[in-house]
Amino acid sequence: MSLSRFLIKRSLQGLFVIWGVITVVFGLRFISPGDPANVLLPPDVDPEVRAQVIAELGLNEPLYVQYWEFISGIPFGDLGLSLVTRTPVSARVVARLPATLELAIAATVVAVVIAIPLGVLSATRRHEPADYGATVFSLVGISTPNFWLGVMLILVLAVQLDAFPTSQRPIGLDGIAVLLAGGDVGAAIRGFGTWLWHITLPAITLGTYFTALITRLTRSGMLDQLGQTYVRATRAKGLPETLVRYKHALRNTLIPVITVIGLQLGTLIGGAVITEAVFAWPGLGSLIINSINARDWPVLQGSLIVVAVGFVLVNILVDALYAYVNPQVAYD
Amino acid sequence: MADNTSHTSRRSYIKLAGGAAAAAALAGCTGNGGEESETTETTTGGDETETAETTTEDSGSFDVTITQGQMPSGLDPQDHRETSTDIVVLHAYEGVLTRDAAGSIQTALATNYERIDGENAVRFDLREGVTFHNGDELTPEDVAYSINRVVDEEVGFASPQSDQLAGVSGAEVIEGENAVRVNNASLNPIVFSEFATYLDVMQRSWVEENDKAYISQHMNGTGPFQLDSYTEDEEVVLTAYEDYWREPAAVDTLTFRAASEASTRVNQLLQGETDLVVNVPPQEVQRVTNSDNARVAASPSTRIIYNGMRYDVEPFDSMEFRQAMNYAIDLESIVQNVLEGFGTQTGQPTLPEFVGHNPDLDPYPYDPDQAEQLVEDSGYAGAEIELHTPVGRYLKDLEVAQAVAGYIDELPNVTATVRQRDFGSLVDELLAGSIEARPPWFLIGWGEATFDGGLVMEALLSSDGTLTTWQNEEFDALLEQAGNQSGEEREATLQEANAMAHEQCPWIFLNQQYSVYGVNDAIAWEARSDERIDAYAMSQQ
Repeated sequence: MSLSRFLIKRSLQGLFVIWGVITVVFGLRFISPGDPANVLLPPDVDPEVRAQVIAELGLNEPLYVQYWEFISGIPFGDLGLSLVTRTPVSARVVARLPATLELAIAATVVAVVIAIPLGVLSATRRHEPADYGATVFSLVGISTPNFWLGVMLILVLAVQLDAFPTSQRPIGLDGIAVLLAGGDVGAAIRGFGTWLWHITLPAITLGTYFTALITRLTRSGMLDQLGQTYVRATRAKGLPETLVRYKHALRNTLIPVITVIGLQLGTLIGGAVITEAVFAWPGLGSLIINSINARDWPVLQGSLIVVAVGFVLVNILVDALYAYVNPQVAYD
Repeated sequence: MADNTSHTSRRSYIKLAGGAAAAAALAGCTGNGGEESETTETTTGGDETETAETTTEDSGSFDVTITQGQMPSGLDPQDHRETSTDIVVLHAYEGVLTRDAAGSIQTALATNYERIDGENAVRFDLREGVTFHNGDELTPEDVAYSINRVVDEEVGFASPQSDQLAGVSGAEVIEGENAVRVNNASLNPIVFSEFATYLDVMQRSWVEENDKAYISQHMNGTGPFQLDSYTEDEEVVLTAYEDYWREPAAVDTLTFRAASEASTRVNQLLQGETDLVVNVPPQEVQRVTNSDNARVAASPSTRIIYNGMRYDVEPFDSMEFRQAMNYAIDLESIVQNVLEGFGTQTGQPTLPEFVGHNPDLDPYPYDPDQAEQLVEDSGYAGAEIELHTPVGRYLKDLEVAQAVAGYIDELPNVTATVRQRDFGSLVDELLAGSIEARPPWFLIGWGEATFDGGLVMEALLSSDGTLTTWQNEEFDALLEQAGNQSGEEREATLQEANAMAHEQCPWIFLNQQYSVYGVNDAIAWEARSDERIDAYAMSQQ
C-alpha cells in the first residue's frame, strides 16, 4: 500500500474515532449533574425569561435535533457559543491551543534530551553506578505524581531559591513570532528568554514521567540491540565501538522509541490539565477545568474534541513515520 | 431620606429578591461560575516580556496586580452574575449609591436620595461634573437608561441582573433637573439597599452605538480606573482615570490576573509576582504570615454557612431533635480549630452586619447531655442521619461537615455520617422547586450582598422560599409584616423572626464565612465585608 493510500485509510478511521468521541462527549452532558440553565439564570427568574433563554440556547429541542445541530457545525469549525461568555467556543479553544502545544512539545524535548542519552548510558554501563543511578531516576520519575512534583519544584526552585517564576505565561511563541515579524529582534530574544524562564518548571513537571519512561525504553531497547548478531558482526568487522553503538544499535533502538514519543505527545496535549492548573498556564487544560467548574458544556465539549482530534492526528503521523523509519513495516 | 410606609404586597419584589441571585448566592468562595472570555485587545507583546513585577516600584509608579481565582466573563457590567467579574468592572463603573468597607450605604454618582412622598417611587439627585472615560459628561438620561437596561428587557437585552433590582419597574429623567425618578412596583423597602449594591451606570450613547460584543470587551464608565488593555484569559489592565470626580486613585496601573489553584496564588504573592490574592485557604495562612513581604487580611463576608434540615421528614420534623443537633456540636471549637479562627459563630439566620440582626441571641452552647436528652424527648433515639456536603466550595466545607457529623455521631443515641456531593448536583436538588427534592440534611452557604436579613430569611426559611426547608405560618406572617414596614419597625419585626428561627432551629447554625486575602506589605489595604476588592482605597505604605 502506498503512503497516500495508507494516510487516506487512517484518516477515515480517525474520523470514525473522532465522531465516536464527539458523540460520547455530547452524551456526557445529559448524564452529568448540573443544569446549564442554573449557570445562566437565578432560579426564581420569570418562567417566560427562562423559557426564552433555554429556547435561545436550543436546550428545549429534542435530543436528536440538538445532536444534529451540534455535530453539523463541527466540520465548519463551529463549536457553538460559551454559555458563560456567549462567545464562540472555537475562538476560545484556538486561543488556548498554542500554550498547550508549547508545553507538550517542551515537555517532550526535555524528555528526549535527557532520556535518550541516559538510556544509552544506562545500557552501555550495565550494572555500573551510572546504570543504577539511571534506574533509580526512572523509578522515581515514574512513581512521582506530577501535581506533587510541580508544587515541590515551585516551593524549592521558585519560592526558596528564586531561580524561576512560580507560574504564568507572560509571552508565548506566537507572541515572539509577532515580534520577529515586526522586525524587533532584540525584544524577540528577550521574549524567548522570558518564555524559556517560565516554561522550564511546567515542562519538567509534565515531562518527568515521560523522561523516566523513555529512559527505561531506550535502555531495554539498546540492551536488546547490543545483544543482536549484527552488532557482533559489526564489532568483528573492526568498527569502532562508538559507531557500533550510535550508528547501528541506537538507530534501531529509536524505532519503537519514536513511536512512544509520538503517542505520548498526544497524551501530553490532553494530559496537561493538572500541570496547567498548578502553574496557572493558560492552555486547554485550565480551560477544561474552568469550564467544568462553570458547567460551561459547549466549552468543555469543544476542548475535548480538539484534544481528541490532536490525539488522532498525532497517531496517524506516528504510524506514517514508523513505517518510514522502519522499512520492514509495510503500510497495511 | 424619608421613608414612605404605604401599604404594599411584598411578594412582587421579595419573591424575586428572595431568590435574588440564588445561583450567585450559593456560589461560594471558590468560584463564581465565571470564565474567561474572548480576546479583544491582545497585548502587543512588545516589551511585555517580563512577568509584571509588581507594586511600588522605585520609579514612583504605584502598580498593583490582583490575582483572583477566575478571570471576568466579560466587561459588560450588566451582563454577568459573578463576583470575580464585579471585582474588575466596579473599578471602571459606579452606581448612584455605594457601600463603605463596613457595608453602610454611601452616595456615589447621586448626591441625595429620597422617597417621593405618597408614591411608590424614589429620586436620585445626581452629581455635577462627573465624566465618563471618553470625556463625555454624565447625564440623568444615562442613569435612567442604565436602570432600564437592567430591569426592562425591551431596552437592550434581558439582563441576568434584573432580579437584583427586584421591585423596580423603571426609571425616568425628572424634567429640568439633574435627577432621576425610579418607579417601584410597590413600597420596596429595600430599594436603596439594592442600589447601594447593584446597578452600574453606563453611557447611553456609548451603549447604543456599540454592539454587545464590543461592550463586553471594552469599558467606558465613570469610575476611578479606565481600561488600558484586555487580554482574554490572561489579564485586564486598568490605569488611573485622571479626571475622576474624586481625587485620582493612588494606584497608577491595576492589573487583574487569575490562578485557579490557591497554592499557586499564594506562591505568586510570596514571590512578589502579584500583590493581592483572594481566598487564601487556612492551611496556607501560616506561610503568608511567616513571609517577610506579605500579610493576611481577613474580613467577615456576607455569606452564612449552615446545615439545612427538612422539617417534613423524620427525624428533623421534631423541633427537639433539631435543637439537639445545635446543642450537640462544639461550634466554637469548629471555628477555632477547623477554620483556624476565620469565621464567626452564628445562632440566627441574619449576620451581625445585616439589617434585622438580633443582638440578644447567642450561638447555641456545646451541651452534649442536653442534646442527648432532647433526642430522647423527640422520640427519635437511634436515628441514623446523613449530611450532604459540597467539597471545596466553601472554606473547609468538608472538614466542617465532618466535624459536625462527628460531634453528632458522638451522641449515644444518634448515628451521623457525611456524604460528599458534587456541588452542581446538590444545587440542582436544592433549587428543584419542591421541598421533597431536597436532601433531608445538607450543608450549604448563602451570600446576600444587600446586607438584608429579610431577604436571607425569605429565600431560605419562608414557606415558598427558593431554598427553604421549613414551613411555619407564624414565621411567614412576620416576614409578610416586615415587607410592609420600613426603618426601625421593619428591623424589630425581622429581629423577632430571627428569635423564632433561633428557637425553632430549622438549621444547625454554623459560621459566617470570612474572606481571606493575602496582601503585599507594601500596600495599605483593608478587606471589605462585601467581597469587593477596592483598589481605589489602596495606598503605599
